Amino acid sequence: MRDSAYHVIYSANIIILYGDIYIVMIMSLVDHILSTGPGEKLFLLGNEAIARGLLESGVNVATTYPGTPSSEVGDVLSNIAQKAGMYFEFSTNEKVALEIAFAASISGLRSFVFMKHVGLNVAADSFVSTVYSGVRGGMVVMTADDPSMFSSQNEQDNREYSALAHVPMFEPSNPQEAKDFLVKAYELSELFHIPVLFRTTTRVNHQRGDVVTAEIKPSKKKGVFTSNPSFYVDLPSNSYTLKQKLIEKMGDIQKYIEDLGINKIISNGSEEYGIITSGEGFNTVMDAVLDHNLKSDILKPGVTNPLPVKTIETFLRGHSKIIIAEELDDFLEQRIRSIAQLLSINVKIYGKMDGYFPYSHEFSVDTVSSSLSKIMGFDFVLPGDPVDMSSIPQRPPVFCPGCPHRATFYAVKRAVNMAKIKDVIYPSDIGCYSLGCYPPFNTGDSMISMGASIGLATGFAKVTGQHVVAFIGDSTFFHAGIPAFINAVRNNSTMTVVILDNRTTAMTGQQTNPGVPVNAFGENAYEESIEAILRSTGISNIKTVDPYSIKETLIAVSSAIRSEGISIVIARRECAILRDNEMRKEKRWEMYDVNQDRCTQCLRCVENFACPAIYIDHEKVKINPTICDGCGVCAEPYVCPYRAIEKVVPVAD
Amino acid sequence: MYALTVLLRRWCLLQTNLIVAGVGGQGVITAGFMIAETMSVMGKNVVMSEIHGLAQRGGAVTVEIRVGDVYSPIIPKGRADIILGFEPIETIRAADKANPETFILMNSEKQTPVSLSMEGREYLPDDDISRLLKPFKHVVKINATGLALEAGNTRTINTVMVGAAIATSVLPITPGELKLTLRKRFNKSLYDVNERALNLGINYVKNDIIQNDDGEIKNLHS
Repeated sequence: MRDSAYHVIYSANIIILYGDIYIVMIMSLVDHILSTGPGEKLFLLGNEAIARGLLESGVNVATTYPGTPSSEVGDVLSNIAQKAGMYFEFSTNEKVALEIAFAASISGLRSFVFMKHVGLNVAADSFVSTVYSGVRGGMVVMTADDPSMFSSQNEQDNREYSALAHVPMFEPSNPQEAKDFLVKAYELSELFHIPVLFRTTTRVNHQRGDVVTAEIKPSKKKGVFTSNPSFYVDLPSNSYTLKQKLIEKMGDIQKYIEDLGINKIISNGSEEYGIITSGEGFNTVMDAVLDHNLKSDILKPGVTNPLPVKTIETFLRGHSKIIIAEELDDFLEQRIRSIAQLLSINVKIYGKMDGYFPYSHEFSVDTVSSSLSKIMGFDFVLPGDPVDMSSIPQRPPVFCPGCPHRATFYAVKRAVNMAKIKDVIYPSDIGCYSLGCYPPFNTGDSMISMGASIGLATGFAKVTGQHVVAFIGDSTFFHAGIPAFINAVRNNSTMTVVILDNRTTAMTGQQTNPGVPVNAFGENAYEESIEAILRSTGISNIKTVDPYSIKETLIAVSSAIRSEGISIVIARRECAILRDNEMRKEKRWEMYDVNQDRCTQCLRCVENFACPAIYIDHEKVKINPTICDGCGVCAEPYVCPYRAIEKVVPVAD
Repeated sequence: MYALTVLLRRWCLLQTNLIVAGVGGQGVITAGFMIAETMSVMGKNVVMSEIHGLAQRGGAVTVEIRVGDVYSPIIPKGRADIILGFEPIETIRAADKANPETFILMNSEKQTPVSLSMEGREYLPDDDISRLLKPFKHVVKINATGLALEAGNTRTINTVMVGAAIATSVLPITPGELKLTLRKRFNKSLYDVNERALNLGINYVKNDIIQNDDGEIKNLHS
C-alpha cells in the first residue's frame, strides 16, 4: 500500500511532528552532523551529539528499537548512516537489536545498540551473557533512562544493570560529554574486550548545547568471525571460567579509569564540604552551588561502574563532610559508604539513605538547593506560586486531530455499550493508543510493558468470567506480542483483541516497523502481514476494518465480542501525521465545520469523541479550522446523529 | 530608564532564562531552537531542554532555554526572565516559574483543551486570564495568528513570537543575528515569509507596546 508515499515520508525525515518548517530545519542540521569537519562548534541535541560520537568513533553497525528518550539517535542515523558507510536498522525489538550489535562486535566491528531504559529489560537476557563472552570490536550499549517518567511506565535506574552484569558504565552530563565519552567508551571496550554500558537520562538526551567536533573516523567495511567456542558459546562449563575472568577484567578496568581524564573535579578550596555527583545531577549541583555561592568542592566520576576508588579515596580524605547528590537510586552512595568503611576513612557522609535527597523523580536546581540547604545550613525558600494553578485546566496528551485511534476507541465503546456488556476488562499496551486509558474512552485497565496486553488478557480470561477486550499496536505486535498470541491459542483462550495498526511506530516519532514496506533508509523491505501471522498461529476469526468508518468497526467489534475463542479486529489506517504529509505533498486539504442550523448542542461530539479541534464557544459547538485535520469521522452519523458537521472548502494556507 | 534596564539585563546579568510554551503542532520547539541557536552562534553558553515523545499534537509543550553561566537546562522556580506563550492557558501554566518582573508575551489565539470540552465547558473568560496575569508587570498580548496570516502563512506564528521576544531586548541577540539563523536554515521562499513574520512581531512590540521609557507594559490590562 502506498509504497511511494512511504518512501517519500520515511526517507525525507522522521521528525515530522512539527510540520514542514521543522523538516527543513532538521534536515540541514542532520547533514551538519556528518559534514562538519573537526574543531567546529555545533549546537546539538544530546541524541544528535551521540550520533556524531558514533561517527567520530568509526562505528560500523548501529541498531535500536525506538524508545523515548533515545529515539532521535535513530532518526539522525536513518538519514546519515548510509552516507557514512554505517549499517543501521530499526530492529524488531531491543533483544534482537543487541544480538545484531554483538555479532558485529565479535566479528571485529564497532557496534552501538541503543534503547530506552525499559528496553534494556527486554535485551537483558542476551546482554548479561555477552559480558561473559566479551567482544572484539568495541561495543557500546546505550540505556536512555527517564527520571520523572516523561514518557515511560517506570523510572528504573539502569545504573543497577552495570553492577548486575559486571559491565563498565559511562555517565555523561551534557551533549559534549555524550559525544566525547563515547569515543573513550569504544577505546575501553576494545582494550578490555568488554561491552560498555552508556547511561544517559532524558535531560541529557534531550538537552541541546554546544558541541565541539573532532575528526570523523572511517569505518571498516566487513567483519570477520573466527570460531572460538570457549568464549562465544556460553555453556555452563565455559561460563564457569568466563565469570572469573570477568571479575579480574573489572579489577583492571577500575585502575584504568582513574586516569582516563573524564573524572571531573571542581575545586573551590573547601576542606569541609565535598559533593560527589554524576550525570544530570552534576548540572543541578553546579547551578545550586553557583546560585548560593556555596564553598564546596565537586567530584563527578565519568565512569560510575567501577568507581575510580583512588580518586574517591583522595576526595574523601580531603574533606570532613561528603554530600552524595545523585538522581534516583543510592547507587553511588552505597558504594562510596562502602569505600569509606573499607578504607577506614572517618568522614561524615550525607545522601539519600539518611533522608536528605529523594529516591524518586529527576533533580531540579530547586530540589538540590533545598537538600543542600538542610545539610550545609543556609537559607533557601522555594518561591511561592505566582499564579493560582488550580483554575488552569490541564492539557494532557491527546490523540492528534485525525488520529485513527480515536475513531477505533469510539467504535469499540459504542459496540460494548450496544451489546450491554458491563463487565469488560480492557488490557492495553504501549503506544499512542495507551492514551485511550483517559476519558472519555477509558479503554485501559492495565498497561505495564510492551506486548503485555495479550498475556494479561489471557490471564484475565482464564481467571474471571468477564469479557476481555485487549488492545495492541502494530509495532508492539511485532515487538513482543506474537509469543503471547501463540500462548493464548495453545491454551484455548476466549478474548477479543483490537489491533490498532497505524502503519508506523508513531509515539516515538514515526519510525518504520516490520509492517511497512520500507526499512530505516526508505529502501524496499518485506511487508509483514499481521493477518497472515495470526492465521498461522491458529486464529481464524480475523476482521480488518478502516477505523475512519465507525460503522465498519462497530459491526466488526460487535460480532467479535459475541464470539467464542480468540477474535481479532484489525483497525488499519495510517497515522494522521503520515497522512498529513501525504496530503500536503498532493496539496490536498479537507476541513469540516458545524452547521449551526442543524446543531442541537447535544454535545455528543465534544463529550464522547474528544477531538482537540471541536470545542464549545458562546454555547455553540465549533471546529477550530487551524486544528481540524479533515478526517471527517466526526461528520459520521454515529458521532453526529443530526448531520450538523459538514465538509467545507478550506481557505488556502 | 527603560533603555538602561534593558542594557543592564543584556550585558550584566549572569543568566537569562526563557520559556517557550504552547500546544503540540504550534512550532514551539522550532521557535526555541531559532532563538537558542542564534545565541549559541553569537558565542553565548546556551542550554536548552526539549521534551520529545508522547504528546504530539494537542498536548502541552514546553521548551526551556538558559543562557549564561548555567549548567542545568531546567529553570528554577521564579527565575524565568521571559515567557513566550503561544496560547493563553499555556502561557499562564508557564508563568508558574515567573516573577513579577518577568516579560510575558502571549499569543491571544485560544485552543480549548479537550479536558474542558469533554465536560461541556468553555475556555476561560478573558477577565479570568487578565486576573491570573495581574501579578506580572510586563504582559504583552499579541495576535500572532493574525500577524502570521499577514506575513503569508499561518504556520509562522512561532516566528512572529520570536520577533516579539527579540523586540523586548531581554534576550542577548539582535534581529539581524536572528535573521542569519533564518537564512541558514530556510530556503528562499520560506525565508521570505519567515522574515516578514519576524518583522511583524518585532514591530508590533516596538511600535504598539513599548512607547515610553518607564518599562511598564500594561497592554493586556488596559
